[in-house]
Amino acid sequence: MKPPVPFVWKRLLTITCLLFCLLLPALFLGLCAGSSGIQFMAVYDALTGSGNTDSILHDIVWRIRFPRVMLALLVGSTLSLGGLVFQALLRNPLAEPYILGISGGSAIGAIIGILAGLSRFPGVSLAAFAGSISTLLVILFVTSGQSMIKKDILLLSGVMVNAFCSAVIMFLVSITQDARLHSIIFWLMGDLSMSETGQVWILLLMLFPCFILLFLLSHSMNLLLLGREIAQTTGINIKGVTLALLITTSFMVSATVSYCGLIGFVGLVVPHFLRLLLGPDHRILVPACVLGGGAYLVLCDMMARVLPEQGEMPVGIITAMVGAPLFIYLLKRSKSR
Amino acid sequence: MTAVDIQHITHFYGNRPVLDDISLSIRTGTFFTILGPNGSGKTTLMKTISGIENPQTGLVKIMGRPLQNYTRKNLAKTIAFLPQTIPVDFQFTVTELILMGRAPHQGILGLEDQNDLKIADEAMKFVGVEHLAERRLDRLSGGERQRIYIAKALCQEPRIILLDEPTASLDLAHQIHIMDLMERLKTEKGVTVVMVSHDVNLAAMYAECLLLLKEGKIVKTGSPNDVLTKHTLEKTYDCTLFIDKNPLGDFPRVALVPNKFKDKQEKDLG
Amino acid sequence: MQGLKSKLKCGYISVTSFVIAGFVLSVAVQSHGKDVLDQLGRAVKLTHTPQRLVSLAPSITEIIFALGRQHLLKGVTRFSDYPLDAKKLPKVGSYVHLDLERIVALKPDICIAIKDGNPKAIIDRLESLGIPVYAIHPLNVAAVMKTIQDIGRLLGAGEKAHHLVENMQLRLQRVESIVSRTASRPGVFFQIGISPIVSVGTDTFIHELIVLAGGKNLAEGPVPYPRFSREQVLGLSPEILIVTSMARNAIFDKVKVEWSRWNNMPAVRNERIFMVNSDLFDRPTPRLIDGLELLVRLIHPSLLEEGR
Repeated sequence: MKPPVPFVWKRLLTITCLLFCLLLPALFLGLCAGSSGIQFMAVYDALTGSGNTDSILHDIVWRIRFPRVMLALLVGSTLSLGGLVFQALLRNPLAEPYILGISGGSAIGAIIGILAGLSRFPGVSLAAFAGSISTLLVILFVTSGQSMIKKDILLLSGVMVNAFCSAVIMFLVSITQDARLHSIIFWLMGDLSMSETGQVWILLLMLFPCFILLFLLSHSMNLLLLGREIAQTTGINIKGVTLALLITTSFMVSATVSYCGLIGFVGLVVPHFLRLLLGPDHRILVPACVLGGGAYLVLCDMMARVLPEQGEMPVGIITAMVGAPLFIYLLKRSKSR
Repeated sequence: MTAVDIQHITHFYGNRPVLDDISLSIRTGTFFTILGPNGSGKTTLMKTISGIENPQTGLVKIMGRPLQNYTRKNLAKTIAFLPQTIPVDFQFTVTELILMGRAPHQGILGLEDQNDLKIADEAMKFVGVEHLAERRLDRLSGGERQRIYIAKALCQEPRIILLDEPTASLDLAHQIHIMDLMERLKTEKGVTVVMVSHDVNLAAMYAECLLLLKEGKIVKTGSPNDVLTKHTLEKTYDCTLFIDKNPLGDFPRVALVPNKFKDKQEKDLG
Repeated sequence: MQGLKSKLKCGYISVTSFVIAGFVLSVAVQSHGKDVLDQLGRAVKLTHTPQRLVSLAPSITEIIFALGRQHLLKGVTRFSDYPLDAKKLPKVGSYVHLDLERIVALKPDICIAIKDGNPKAIIDRLESLGIPVYAIHPLNVAAVMKTIQDIGRLLGAGEKAHHLVENMQLRLQRVESIVSRTASRPGVFFQIGISPIVSVGTDTFIHELIVLAGGKNLAEGPVPYPRFSREQVLGLSPEILIVTSMARNAIFDKVKVEWSRWNNMPAVRNERIFMVNSDLFDRPTPRLIDGLELLVRLIHPSLLEEGR
C-alpha cells in the first residue's frame, strides 16, 4: 500500500521557509558589502540601531545600500516570476520576461526620455513604462480574438516587435553623440544604483498585488500546460487566465524595467533552475521564484559591487557568468538521472 | 434520461459546414461510438458536446440542461474530455497529473485534501496504474499515458466521458485494455461513454449505439447490426469491404478487401 | 584738555571696539555658513573653507592641482591622469558613472562637478545625503579662466588662481598678436573620431582654439560632434589634418597611411597630418593654452619663425 502523497501546502510551507532562510542572509550580505568595503559587525550595529555607528556608515547602509538591495530583491523576484509565467504561458523553455516586446518597447521609451533630457525618476522611468505598455498593446491587438490562445502567435508577435524595436534602438544610438549616449548604454545594460528608498517602496506597492495574483493563478498555470482542450474541460477559463497572466506579468516586468533597465539572464535561468530542483508544480515555483530569484539577484549584485577593483561592473555580467555554468551543471545532472 | 441531446447544430469553419444540421440523442449509461471517414466532423462534434467549440446554430443539452447554462466548473464536473493528442512537454508525475483532475471540485489554488487523495487513489486503482504513481509522465509508454489520462478524467467524477480516438496509436493489448476499461466504467459506475473511433470492429464489439458521419451529415445511427451493413459502409468509406457475423457475438465483423482479392470475393459471393 | 584727551581715548576705544566687533561678527556670520553660488546659479551651502574635497571630473582634478590645493583632494574619478600624482588618489568611479558609496565614504565637505558630464541624478543624490556639490559649466576659454578663479576662491587659493589666469591671458594675447600678422586662415580638419570620422562643431573648445590659432575649422556648424564620410572630408580639401590621440601611436600611423592615399588633399600633398594629445584640447583646464600654442605651431609655423 503506497503512502498517500504529501499535501502540496506542506511542501509549499517547507520550501518557502527554506528559501526565506536563504534570503535573509543574502540581504544581510548585500548590506554589508559595497564599493567602500565590507563591514560585518559595523553593519550589524547599524541595523540594530545600537548607537555606536559612525554616521557615514549609517548613511551608506541605509541610504545607499538598503534601497539598492531592496531593488535587487524586487527585480530578481519579478524577472524570475516573469520568466516562469511566460515559459508556462507560451509552453516554450526559451521564454523569458522580455520576450513579448517589453525589452524593445521600454528601451525605446527610455532612450526617448533620456534624449529629451528628462530626469531619471520619474521622467525616464515613466517613458520606459509607457514604451513597454505600448508594445504590449500592439501585441494584444495583433493577437486579438480566439487566436491569442494559440501559443505560437503570441511568441512570434513578441519576437517580431522586439526585432523592430532593436532596429529603432540602433538608429537612436547611432545618432546620439554626446554624454547622453553614456546614460543610454548604462540603461540598456541594467543599473540597480539609481533608486532611492521612497521610489523602491512605490515599486513594491505595484509589484506585491501582482505576486499575489500570480500565486492564485499558479494552479491554472499547471493545467494550462496540459493543453487548451484538457485545461478548458477541467474547468479553467483559458482565455481569461491567459489574458490575466499576460497583462499582470507584462505590467510587473514593465514596472521593474522602468526602474533598472534591462538586466538579463535572471528570468531565463532562475525558473529552470528552480524547476530542476523543486519540480514543475507552479504553486511551489511561484513563491520559490519570488524568494529564490530575489536572493539570486541580491547576491549577484553584491558580487558586482565588490569584485571589481574599479567601481562596479554591470550586474548582468555576474548573472550570466554565474547562471550559465550553474545551469549547465544542473542540466547534466538531471539528464544522467 | 438523456445524457446528451443535440438539436439541429450546424458548425461552419469559414464558409464550409463541418457539421450540417446534426441532431442526435445519447441516453445515460450507454456506450456510444462515432464513426466516419477523415474530415467527417467527428472531432468537431466531440468538441461541440464538450463545450470547446460553439455551433453557429442549434442547441446542445447536457443532462437535460442547455450547455450555456453550465458554469465552466460545473460542466467539468459533468463531462470529461480526452482529446486525440495531448502535449507531453512537462515534467509532472503521474500522481500530480491525476490530482489535477480534481480541479473542478477545488478552490482556485487546487490544494488537495484527504478526500481528493482518496478519489485519486481509487482512480489509479481502477485503471491499474498505482505502480506508476511516482514516475514522470513523459517517460511512460503511450498506453500507460492513456490510462493515466483516463484516471485523471475519473477524478473529475464526470457523468459523461468523451474520448477522441483513444486507441489510435496503441498496440493490440493496450487497445483492448482501454476499451475494457471503458466498458467497466459504463457498467460499474454508470458513466456514459462517448467515443470517436477509427476502428470499426472495436466499435462493433463494444458500442450499444453507433453514429456514422460523412461530410458533416449523419449517414446512419443505431445498433452495430443496423449501421454496419455492407451497402452503408461501402458508400460512406468509398472502398470495398467484406462483412460477416463476428463469431464472438451478435455483431458484424468488417474486413478490408485488398485489390488482389477483389475478384476472388466476387466469385465467392456471386 | 584732560577731558578732551579722555573723550578722544573713549572715542578711539569705542571705534576700535566697533571695528573689532564688526570684524568678529562678520567672521561669525561667515562661519555660520554662507551660500555660495556655483556656475549654474545654484546655492551651495558652505560652513567653512573646504578641507576635504572630491573632484568629479579629470579636468577639475587638473585645476585643483594647478591651484596647489591637491592636499584637500580626497578622491578623483577614474581618468584623472594629470598630473601624475593624481593617479595615486582614491578613485570614485568614472565621471559618467560615479560610485556614490565611495564618494560618501570619503566624507567630503564638498564635491566639484561638471555639467554635461556628470549625471544629474547622482548630483541630486549626493545633495540629498547632505554633501554640497559645486557645479562648473565652462563653455569657452574665457569661461575656463573664470572657472579657475571661482574654484580658487572656493578653495581659498584666490591669489594663485589670479596668477594662473594672468599667465594664461598673457600667453593668449601673445598668440593673438602673432596670428593677427596674417590674414590667411588655413582650413583645418580636426578629427576626434576614427571610425566613424567625427570632427568638432562651433560649440566646442577645439573650435575656439582653432580660430584663436588662426585657422578655419572646416567642420564648424551647429552640430557639436558632426560625422563625416571620407568623401565629405575630401570634398572639404583640408590644408591641415589633425588627429587626436585617443588612439595610440600605432593606430595613428594606420590613420595617416589611410589618408595618405588621397594625394589630392592639400594636407596630404604638403605632409601636414599631425597627431596631438586630446587632453590638451577637450579638457577645460589651463592646458588649453598649451593646446592653443601647439595649434599655432602646426597651423602657422612660419609666423613663429618670423617672430624670433
